[in-house]
Amino acid sequence: MNSSRSLGLMLLTPAIVLVVLFFLVPVALTAVFSFTNMSTATGITGGAYQIGPSSLQRLGDSYGFPELAERLSQPSYVIDERGLTALESAGVDASAITEMRTHLGEVFPTRREAERMIKGLDARPSTREVKQISEQFNRSLLDTRYESEGDLLAGLDALGVEVTPAERDAVAASSYSGWTWTTDNFRRMVSTPDTLRTLINTVFYVAIVLVLFNTGYAMFLAITTYYMPETTGGIFRSIWLLPRITPPVIYVLMWKWLAWDTGFISMFLGQFGVAPKNWMLDSSTNAWVFVILINGFVGASMGMLVFSSALRAIPKSQFYASEVDGASRWQQIRYIILPQMRWPILFVTCYQTLSLLASFDLILLSTEGGPGGATEVWSLMTYHTALNNYAGNLEYGYGTALSLVLVVIGVTLSLIYLRVFNYNALVAKPLIEQ
Amino acid sequence: MRILLDKFSKSFGTTKVIEDLTLEVADGEMLALLGPSGCGKSTTLFAICGIHKVTGGRILFGDRDVTDLPSQARSVGVVFQSYALYPHMTVAENIAFPLQVKKVAPDQIKREVDAIAALVHIENLLGRRPAELSGGQQQRVALARALVRKPDVLLLDEPLANLDAKLRLEMRSEIRRIQLETGITAILVTHDQVEAMSMCDRIAIMNAGEIVQLATPTEMYHNPRTAFVAGFLGNPPIAFLRGTAKDGGFALDNSDIRLPLPAGTLSPADGSKLTLGIRPEDFGPLGDIAIPGKIAFVETQGRENLYDVRLADGSMLRSIQPVRGDIAVGNEVAWSASGAKVMVFGEDGARL
Repeated sequence: MNSSRSLGLMLLTPAIVLVVLFFLVPVALTAVFSFTNMSTATGITGGAYQIGPSSLQRLGDSYGFPELAERLSQPSYVIDERGLTALESAGVDASAITEMRTHLGEVFPTRREAERMIKGLDARPSTREVKQISEQFNRSLLDTRYESEGDLLAGLDALGVEVTPAERDAVAASSYSGWTWTTDNFRRMVSTPDTLRTLINTVFYVAIVLVLFNTGYAMFLAITTYYMPETTGGIFRSIWLLPRITPPVIYVLMWKWLAWDTGFISMFLGQFGVAPKNWMLDSSTNAWVFVILINGFVGASMGMLVFSSALRAIPKSQFYASEVDGASRWQQIRYIILPQMRWPILFVTCYQTLSLLASFDLILLSTEGGPGGATEVWSLMTYHTALNNYAGNLEYGYGTALSLVLVVIGVTLSLIYLRVFNYNALVAKPLIEQ
Repeated sequence: MRILLDKFSKSFGTTKVIEDLTLEVADGEMLALLGPSGCGKSTTLFAICGIHKVTGGRILFGDRDVTDLPSQARSVGVVFQSYALYPHMTVAENIAFPLQVKKVAPDQIKREVDAIAALVHIENLLGRRPAELSGGQQQRVALARALVRKPDVLLLDEPLANLDAKLRLEMRSEIRRIQLETGITAILVTHDQVEAMSMCDRIAIMNAGEIVQLATPTEMYHNPRTAFVAGFLGNPPIAFLRGTAKDGGFALDNSDIRLPLPAGTLSPADGSKLTLGIRPEDFGPLGDIAIPGKIAFVETQGRENLYDVRLADGSMLRSIQPVRGDIAVGNEVAWSASGAKVMVFGEDGARL
């Protein structure tokens, strides 16, 4: 008992490792990243504190301290040891340096005030020297990089900028260039109108492709080829497998050839005087028709195979029996075949819902979500946000938050499906002999 | 309703299974199509119910030519060997199916289902699914479904093959009872001669796509037309002795045993090959043609014993007798056959 249990565990180990590596860890990381604002701008390692035009903009706009931002944007001049040392190495007159030392610790809010003081020195520096000297004491916070929040605050203090604690936090937060923990992703998701549109697109896409093609058309193919002679049916089934086995890029390229303004449709309709156009991206309706057909023809093949084999599993005698019982072909399909297809249909529905939710390759290759986001579905939006967007700032944090929604939906659906499967499939009623 | 197969032929591709078979089943009769595997009996049945298209000839139900009608339009009830119950329907729904597809009113369907369920004694099973039934119960359901729309013809394809011995015995009489009560014309396809003999009014025994003999069970048993028929009927089976005709008698091959031919047999020409058929019950201590041999095997059957007797030429005769303790394997016996019951077959297997 004990050894068989450990043997079982041993045999399960590879599966457990794979599940952990390729499912649990990615899901956990997705959850973690979705609570950050990681992007190309922040990087994925830590950041630094740097007050610059954009952080001051944020400080004024997002944190509500416009005056503070204005104040920080001004340069200030501080007479300090660092500046004096720099003067020495710059070869400035020693008497001027000695004289400057008497002003050690003074702060001038503007360049003009600092230069007025320098001009008043007994050494009488020339205008060029005044500029040279003042430059060494420019202690503006702008574009200075601090490694930690403490350094930044020390810098503020050194400048003699008086700030309230609230202002201090705001400065620190607005000037941080790395990523931070945040729930803003979800807030943004809920408040952006695009999200709702994409959600509706996704539901529409999954439902239509699933019902029309992955189950409906697949069932139609399975049943019609079942009633055909063996070889004819086999040929038709093989033809319908072609979209599945063609490489996606080539498959979509063929659709594009069909739809381009110099493609087949345009050429053909050109015979009747219709102006050529890109039929795929011409309108959102057209784009949807193509997206659904492109995905549907690929998706139908799996259902067709599953349903065909399930059909074959129904004993031939049931077909004979229903015929002699007087059932027409249609009644045979309606009362004998379809009721016995419940499990295959449910299986294909489950499997295809999940794969449709997650896959976007064919849409990306064909319409790329266009025109104008009309065919943008959730997974494609995730891809566009996190991995490839036009602006160039890849928002990993927001992207993972978007994909976390897919993970949650996927896991929830899987659990529901598992439940539905198990309860009826595993709990068979006992055979009762009388 | 009378069924007439008129010069019916059936081939699959280039393989001819049945050629020019003519058979008439009288109204209300139950007829057995009996024969070994591959003799064409199931093919005949499937042609009658319309699952197989016929290649030639006609099929008539009464005066109606149904040759080219699809099975849906033929009004036949079929019980399949596997019963072919619809697993996703309850017993009641299974039985109701032929009526349902005819769009009979629901309350009438219910009445008819209840009536037929009472006839085959499954009233208490109507709510179950086929998977929850025993073999015998499934058999009854299949029978009920075949009968519920009162077809012109009932066809039974090896209906008892999947049942255990005890149930088979029970269902044999049940099917016959139901057939008699409904008065339906029925054809039973079977390879089991006991079923055919015990259930049917007449037997059509088939071999290689032809009907060898068509007769009542008793007639066929006592008066088989060929050695094949004689060999097919009877349990334990008939034993055959091979030899030649000599001086109006029978000379057993490879031995000096000479037997007289039974009275009434046309005297065959000297030297022609003959086969004698002797049923186990016609060979024993009482008889008029003595055949010496040696006991090779004793099979205990309870009430009776079956003795295998090896003759000098190595051929075997069987004798069935009340149990007796004085005979053991290896004993020499000189039992006799009843001359009047011995059957003589010619070289082509035909009875002389």
